Amino acid sequence: MIALYLVAVIAVFAVIRATVERNTGRKLPYVNVMNFAIAGALVLLLDHPLTLVAAAAYFIGSTLEANAIASTYAGGVRRG
Amino acid sequence: MSGVDDILALLFAAIAIIGAVSAHLQHDRFNKLIAIGIIFGGIIPFIVDRGYLDIAILVSLIIPITTIIILQICRRREASDA
Amino acid sequence: MTPEFILGCVILIIGVIAAGFPRPRTYLSRLICLEIPGLGLLLIMLAYDEMLALVTFIGVTAISTFVLVRVVERRGLE
Repeated sequence: MIALYLVAVIAVFAVIRATVERNTGRKLPYVNVMNFAIAGALVLLLDHPLTLVAAAAYFIGSTLEANAIASTYAGGVRRG
Repeated sequence: MSGVDDILALLFAAIAIIGAVSAHLQHDRFNKLIAIGIIFGGIIPFIVDRGYLDIAILVSLIIPITTIIILQICRRREASDA
Repeated sequence: MTPEFILGCVILIIGVIAAGFPRPRTYLSRLICLEIPGLGLLLIMLAYDEMLALVTFIGVTAISTFVLVRVVERRGLE
């Protein structure tokens, strides 16, 4: 039970650290830390087999979103 | 081990409210999109906690598609400036 | 008064203020800020257990965002 609180506190710390950061490129690793923490919290929240699928779907979606933002911020695919 | 109590609901609500206030105060468009992602990370544990896991899967796959649709117009503006 | 309902109302009010008075007054900023009240309304629908309405609302939000992106792109981003 202590693991759930620990993961939630890590998520809140990552959100605060990502909010006070000025540079956009340095914001994205802290957003990734928050995504990992939320995906861990979803697994620990319920005792149901479909929870694993929900956490995997959240993990895939949020990682895709963060990578798309990072790719567009770095200049897009066309110039590379 | 099931269910969120008051402390846990307060922590996840703090994530969502910090993201919402941050999305209003940021000036750069990429920072605004990052803040939208933070709000979504704050509200998805409430959906899972009510027991609607299929809804959580569906919402988790639709919200990033919306962000990627908005990112197309950011890329177009970036290319027109250069 | 479940926690979902209170949090949804708070996010809805912040989102309405953000979409009504966006900080850079451009179409793109207003379109990004329009996502916030949608997420608040999602939490209010979750508090009343209206699951079919929630799924329909999320799908229509994605389609309308696609249409609005096309409109803003044609209009010229300022």
